Amino acid sequence: MTAIIALSLFGISNLFLGFWFPRKTIQLVTLLFLVVSMALTVSDWNHELLWFGNMFRTTNTSINFSLIIQLAAFFVVAFSKAFGQDDEHTHPAEYYAIMLFSVVGAILMVSFDHMIVLFVGLEILSVAMYVLTGSDKRNLRSNEAAIKYFLMGSFTTGFLLFGITLVYGATRSFYISNIGTILTTTAPESMPSFLFIGVLLIIVGLLFKVSAAPFHFWTPDVYEGAPTIFTMFMSTIVKTASFAALFQLVSGIFGSLYTVWVLPVYFISMLTLVVGNISAVYQQSVKRMLAFSSISHAGYLILTVSSKQISTTSSILYYSLSYTLATVVAFAVLILVSEYQSARVEKPENFSSFEGLAKNNPGLALCFSISMLSLAGIPLTAGFWGKFFIFSDTFSRNIIYPVILAILMSAVGIYYYFKGIIAVYLKAGEIEKIEVPTLFKMALWACTLGTIILGIYPSLVKSVF
Amino acid sequence: MEISNIWYFLSALTLLSALMVIMSKNPIHSVLYLVFTFFCISAHYVLLNAQFLMAVNIIVYAGAIMVLFLFVIMMFDLKKNIPESKSSLTKLAGSVVAGTLLVILIAIVRKNNIPAPLGDKFNSQTGMVENLGQVLYGEFLLPFELVSILFFVAMVGAVLLGKREAGERNF
Repeated sequence: MTAIIALSLFGISNLFLGFWFPRKTIQLVTLLFLVVSMALTVSDWNHELLWFGNMFRTTNTSINFSLIIQLAAFFVVAFSKAFGQDDEHTHPAEYYAIMLFSVVGAILMVSFDHMIVLFVGLEILSVAMYVLTGSDKRNLRSNEAAIKYFLMGSFTTGFLLFGITLVYGATRSFYISNIGTILTTTAPESMPSFLFIGVLLIIVGLLFKVSAAPFHFWTPDVYEGAPTIFTMFMSTIVKTASFAALFQLVSGIFGSLYTVWVLPVYFISMLTLVVGNISAVYQQSVKRMLAFSSISHAGYLILTVSSKQISTTSSILYYSLSYTLATVVAFAVLILVSEYQSARVEKPENFSSFEGLAKNNPGLALCFSISMLSLAGIPLTAGFWGKFFIFSDTFSRNIIYPVILAILMSAVGIYYYFKGIIAVYLKAGEIEKIEVPTLFKMALWACTLGTIILGIYPSLVKSVF
Repeated sequence: MEISNIWYFLSALTLLSALMVIMSKNPIHSVLYLVFTFFCISAHYVLLNAQFLMAVNIIVYAGAIMVLFLFVIMMFDLKKNIPESKSSLTKLAGSVVAGTLLVILIAIVRKNNIPAPLGDKFNSQTGMVENLGQVLYGEFLLPFELVSILFFVAMVGAVLLGKREAGERNF
C-alpha cells in the first residue's frame, strides 16, 4: 500500500532530479526507486487488509501482481538505453517520471476494492501510455499511433464507465466486496436486467485494454508506431494490470452471474486465439509479429478467467511472469538490432534485419532465441510451464474445445516464433558486433536466466504464488 | 409544472442538441451545440440537487474546454473538403452494432420498473458544497488524491509532447 505513495513521490522527485543530473544517473536512481517500492510492496505480504476507507485491498495475489508489474517496469527502465542521441538534447527525467506514475495506476488496477479506484487507476495508466506512445514526435507513425490509441482508448473508457454506472444502479454500491455480497445473495432473476448489460460493458472495457479479438484493431498499429521501449512497457505492464483487474472482477464478484458472461468470454477467447496467431504468421515485421503474439497470449489468459480455484490464480501469475520475461527480452534485442540496422536498411524492424545475427553476436542471438522459445512454449523454458498450467487448469474444469483450439493455435505459434530463430541462426547476413551497454547486458541476461530457471524449476515460483 | 415534465423536456433537449453535434456539417455549429448540451446537462444536475456540480460543469466544460475547442477549430483549415474515409461496409457495421445496443437498452428500460423517487426521505443537503467536500476529503480521499496524479501525468505529458527537442531522432 505504501508503494503507491512512494512511487508518486518518486515520480515527482524524478522530475526535479532532471534539472541537475545526467541521463545515466537518473536511470540508476529510477531503478533504485523501483527496488524500494518493490520492497515496500513485499512488506505488506500476508497482511490481508483494506486501506483508505475500504478502497484499496492488499492480498497476496494483488501483491504478486504488483511485483510482476514493478519487475517489468524495472526491466523497461534498465533497457531504456537512450531517450535521444546525446545528453544535451534529451529530457529523460520526464519519461521516467511518467513511467513511475503509470506503475501507480497499474498497482491500483490490481488491488482496487472500489470501482472508482479501478477507473482512476485505468485512466492514470492510459493517459501515461497515450503520451509515451506519441513521444517520438518527429515520427509520423508514432503520432498516428498516439491519436489512434487515445481516441479508441477514451471511447472504451466510456463503455467501462457506463458499465460501472449500470452495476451501481442495480446494486447501489461501488464497493467490490459489497457488490459481490449483493450478487451472491440475491437471485439473478430478481435483479434489474440492466445489471447484465453493465457487467458485459465492464468486461468489454477491460478486454479492450488487454486487446482481445474483436477489440484488437488498435493493437498492431499502436504497438508498431510507438517507440519500441514503450511497446515493451505496453505489452507487459498494461496487459498484466488490465488482465488482473478483469480476472478479479469476472471470477470474483461477477462469479455468480456465470451464465451471463461465460459464452461471450469463451467466444472472445477463441476468436482472440485464432485472430492473433493466424495474423502473426503473415507479418514481415518483428515488432508487428510481437504485437499479434501479445494478442494471442491475451487469448490464452482469457481462457482461465472463469475459474475461481486458487490454483488458477497461481497459473495466471506464473503465465504473466513468464510472458513478461520473454517479451521484455524480445523487444530489447529488437531495440538493439533495429537501431543498428536503421542506418543500413529501409525497414529495420523486419525479420530480414535479424539475418546473420548469431555470427558476430552470439549472446544476443541466444537471448533472442530463448525468448522466442519461451513465447512459443517449448519445454525447458518458462513459457512451456505457463501454457501447461493454464491448459491443465482449464481442462480440469471440463472446458474441452477451447483448450483443444488453444493447443492447435500454440502449434501455429511455433511457426512464426521459429521464423525469428531461423533468421538469426540459419540465414546469411552481415551484422557486425553490436555494442551493448553494461546495464543493458546485465538486464538481458537476468531475464534470460529467469526464463530458463523458471522453465527448469517451475515450483520455485509456483510455491510462492 | 410537474418536476418530471421539466425532466422530460430537458432530456429531449439534451438528446436533440447532442444529435445536432454530430449531424451538423459546420464544425463551429457542432461546438456551439456541444456547449448547449453541456448547459442542458448542468440543468439536469440542478434537478438532481447538485448545484456545485452544475457550476463546475458550466465553468470547466462550457467555459474552458469549449473555448479550447473553438480555438483548435479556428486553426484548422475548414475550407478543405476532407474525403470520406470510411467504406459503406464499415458504416453499416457500425450502425448495426449501435442500433443493437440501442434496442437492448430500450428493451431493458421498458422491462424494468423504474423505482419511485425517494421523496421525503431524500436529504436535500446532499449535493451542497459542504457535504460534497466532506465526502471528498472523507470517504473518497484516495480517489480524490489519485486524480491529482492523473492530472499531473496529463500536465507532464503535455509539456513533454509540446517541448521542442533538438536533434533528428528522439528514439
